[in-house]
Amino acid sequence: MNFLSLIWLIAAPIIIAIIIMFPHFPNHQVKVRRFAKWFASLHFVYSLLFLAFFDSSLFGMSYEKELTFFGMSWLKSLGISAKFAVDGMTLLFVVLTTFIVLITLFMSKIHIRTKHKLYYSMVFLLEAAILGIFCAKDMFMFFVFWELSLIPLYFLVSQWGNSEARRAAMKFTLASFAANMFLFFGMLILYYYNFAVSNVLTANIETLNMDSNLYPVWFQVMVFVNFLIGFVVRIPFVLFHNWYPDIQSKASAPVNILISGLLLNTGVYGLIRFNMQTFPEIFKMFAPVLMVWGLVNIIYSGGLCVMQTGIKKMISYANISTMGFVMVGLASLNQTGFNGAVFCSIAAAIVFSALYVVISCVVFRTKSTYITALGGLGQVMPKCMYMALIICFAAVGIPFLIMFSPKIMILTGAMLSNLDQQLMVKIAAFIGLCAIAVSTGYIMFFFYKVFCSVLLDQWKKLKDLSPQETAILSAMCLIIIYLGVNPMSVISVYQSVSSIILDVLQV
Amino acid sequence: MTELIDMIKTAYLPEFVIIVFILINMLASVFANPQFYKLSKWVTLFGICLAIASTFNLQIEPEAYAFDGAFLTNIYTVFFKILILICAFFLTLLSRNMIREKRDRAFEYFTVFLSGILFAMCAVSTVDFIGLFLSMEALGLSCYMLLSFTKSPASKQLTFGYLVQGAVVSSLFLVGLSLIYGLCAQVNLGMISLYFANTSSYGSTSQILLTFSLILMICSFLFKLGLVPFSSWLADTFEGANAPIGAFISSVPVLAGFGILAKIFMIFFNYTFTLKIVFAFIAVTTIILGSLSATRQDNLKRLMAYSMSVQSGIMLLGLCVFSVYSLSSVLFYLFCYVFANIGAWAAIILLYNSAKLQNLTDLKGLIYHRPYYVIAFTIVLIALAGLAPTCGFVAKLYIFSAVARSGFVFLPYLIVALLGTVIITYAYWRIIRGMFRRIETDIEIDTHMISSKFILYACALSTVVICIYADKIIQLCQLVAYYM
Repeated sequence: MNFLSLIWLIAAPIIIAIIIMFPHFPNHQVKVRRFAKWFASLHFVYSLLFLAFFDSSLFGMSYEKELTFFGMSWLKSLGISAKFAVDGMTLLFVVLTTFIVLITLFMSKIHIRTKHKLYYSMVFLLEAAILGIFCAKDMFMFFVFWELSLIPLYFLVSQWGNSEARRAAMKFTLASFAANMFLFFGMLILYYYNFAVSNVLTANIETLNMDSNLYPVWFQVMVFVNFLIGFVVRIPFVLFHNWYPDIQSKASAPVNILISGLLLNTGVYGLIRFNMQTFPEIFKMFAPVLMVWGLVNIIYSGGLCVMQTGIKKMISYANISTMGFVMVGLASLNQTGFNGAVFCSIAAAIVFSALYVVISCVVFRTKSTYITALGGLGQVMPKCMYMALIICFAAVGIPFLIMFSPKIMILTGAMLSNLDQQLMVKIAAFIGLCAIAVSTGYIMFFFYKVFCSVLLDQWKKLKDLSPQETAILSAMCLIIIYLGVNPMSVISVYQSVSSIILDVLQV
Repeated sequence: MTELIDMIKTAYLPEFVIIVFILINMLASVFANPQFYKLSKWVTLFGICLAIASTFNLQIEPEAYAFDGAFLTNIYTVFFKILILICAFFLTLLSRNMIREKRDRAFEYFTVFLSGILFAMCAVSTVDFIGLFLSMEALGLSCYMLLSFTKSPASKQLTFGYLVQGAVVSSLFLVGLSLIYGLCAQVNLGMISLYFANTSSYGSTSQILLTFSLILMICSFLFKLGLVPFSSWLADTFEGANAPIGAFISSVPVLAGFGILAKIFMIFFNYTFTLKIVFAFIAVTTIILGSLSATRQDNLKRLMAYSMSVQSGIMLLGLCVFSVYSLSSVLFYLFCYVFANIGAWAAIILLYNSAKLQNLTDLKGLIYHRPYYVIAFTIVLIALAGLAPTCGFVAKLYIFSAVARSGFVFLPYLIVALLGTVIITYAYWRIIRGMFRRIETDIEIDTHMISSKFILYACALSTVVICIYADKIIQLCQLVAYYM
């Protein structure tokens, strides 16, 4: 499969972004948008080819490729190289990324009214950065892309958001940079301690993972905590979650889709790749804490969700709450839980992007994000209501929809988990089971408030979904139903990865 | 006579070339007609190119001495000299408006300018304290003269402040030097280190004296590099100075200062332990204070002054954990700093000379008028901030990894420094954000400044190219550090 090169997969959006930004590129919005959509479609198909030719029975990385400049690898004398590779888990994230970007571009037409060139190039830059995060095989390349993703995000939020967006975006960018510095600090000391122990100067993630048992425990804990801070801000978890509702409520609708669909997965991926795979012993040690943290996340942000007055904030708290399940699944330290966690983060990306698509349709028509100002929209927008019903059911975890199997797997994993504090873990799993009820509560509360109750007079003339919106939403609903009926089609792709990771954990 | 020629050929050629061109400029300033003022720039450029070419004629393996062993040439000094000369090349091209305003003094300007370059080069090469003091003082004098070259009252006042503070720290240097001389009756660096190697033991009187006098002497360098206890002159001086002079002060003395500081650290740090921690503390304080001040500036030149301070702080942090590895990282950082810093100053000069833009608020909406300037300026600022697709990232990665490598004592300093870099990133970000604002303004920019444009684009390009080919330059820096 020589035509499948990860470097082209990552470089193509960057090149397209530069082409769009070029001053001679036509500034006409239709031309820019068509160009962007065509490219995004091709890119999505290209990433699907990776999945089609992927051999999921293989253990380890595939499609490995190194970026060289006239035969020279980048920073060889520091042991840093621009290598890219994917395994089953990251390949799914890659395909998800290109898919969400495609959806976003189709939703952008009605919401983005100014500065089209900047918008489309920033979307592609963000896409490239996210793809780089998933594909980088080198710790510092990972970090480069990790930081690169913040810059387009700043522009996307600040330039097309509401009046307060600029301030929120600046706050978010600075806070993330500060969190990134902890990550960078952890990477630097890991890089050198590894050199001191094994006498090979390298930043290759696979090599670092293999040497992890050579370090003393206190050192591992130090690096682990630094990594945890870096990733937990991104996911986001309670205590570090403030930026997420803040930004989501101020950004424009397509950017909401991008953030919920692309950004949160990178945090989960980092948590798995670095915290879990590099420091299995410490992860085991911290697992009960993390599990409790996950539960707090589910319940606390679920509670906050009900109290919100804006629908965007409400859905973002629901999203945070769902990410809590991911942490519970990872912390249960068995294959069922792990598979559920990865699937859950993919499902959350799809479901919550779909919810943001619904919200963007509603907000575009009503120009209002306050839940008190909405109500009874189902009477005038029946198509939208039925689609939203499917998506909300999926978010709750109704059987045969996408979120059902991951949540059940996570809770089963937690129940069966072999951690030291047996009783506590069982209680935690039980609480998690109850938490599904909480999530049902808030999602249905959202649905009821927006689409059912009493229709206000000013909304009586609203139009239903346009054909394009219908197509997007029905495509997402089809995916939600298909993956709900056939979850093994996703899980089988990363089965080998999870068995590798859990072999190391030895639980 | 043949001995003299031999000595010049093997050890002293670039300096000799520069001296010749200083004399040419000096004579021309007396005799030449002011309408040929443009000639001065080309003569100087030619001299600098010749000097760069002549460095390849030097005997650098293993090393060569001149003036009875007072002047050393090896790969380390040649590395610094080439960097200084590259700086000089760019700065000469940037001086267009300086000499256009004062046509009758164009040759005079380049005389002073070239003597600054000459003494910076000599300072890196000297191996005794007398030569070191003289060349640093002479470098400082040329800075004062360049600063007061335009006769605005404000610039005179600021120069005078700079001069007085410079005089104070120079006298501190002399006090420290006299203490050391009193102790071991030597001025040669090698001899002094030999003396301490033979006599000093941990906690002995001589060691305490050495530490004390070293602190006094290093104050002079802290002043030149804009580090914390002596950084009060920076912002005002830079604001009063013409932009090309600001570019000069923020690059040439920094290069010379770190060249010498590395040497002094290498020789004396074996005999003192606490100094490492003291300097790490100074470095981190500089990074935090400098970056916090930089975020509050509205004038581009003032911002660049604090930026220089922060960059020196980062380099000092790399230098004070002393190892071959960290030295090579500092060399690499200097290499990247030269291009990024001069590129940023070129943009500032371009904006000021073409449309009198010098405040951050003036830059609003610049992207609509000059997209290429803005993009090049952004790339250079990203390089200064140390973000991804430029050499700044590699430099920062390298220098901080050297600190991480040096042991757990420095880790608290490292994390504080990393957080400081976030703050300075915000300071640079304010410039970029202003330029990308959507406000439509009617800035009129004339674009006849080909040389400044050339430098801006060349520096922006080279920051990216250095990032791609960083490996080769890192290997070179490691070689240089190893030979040191």
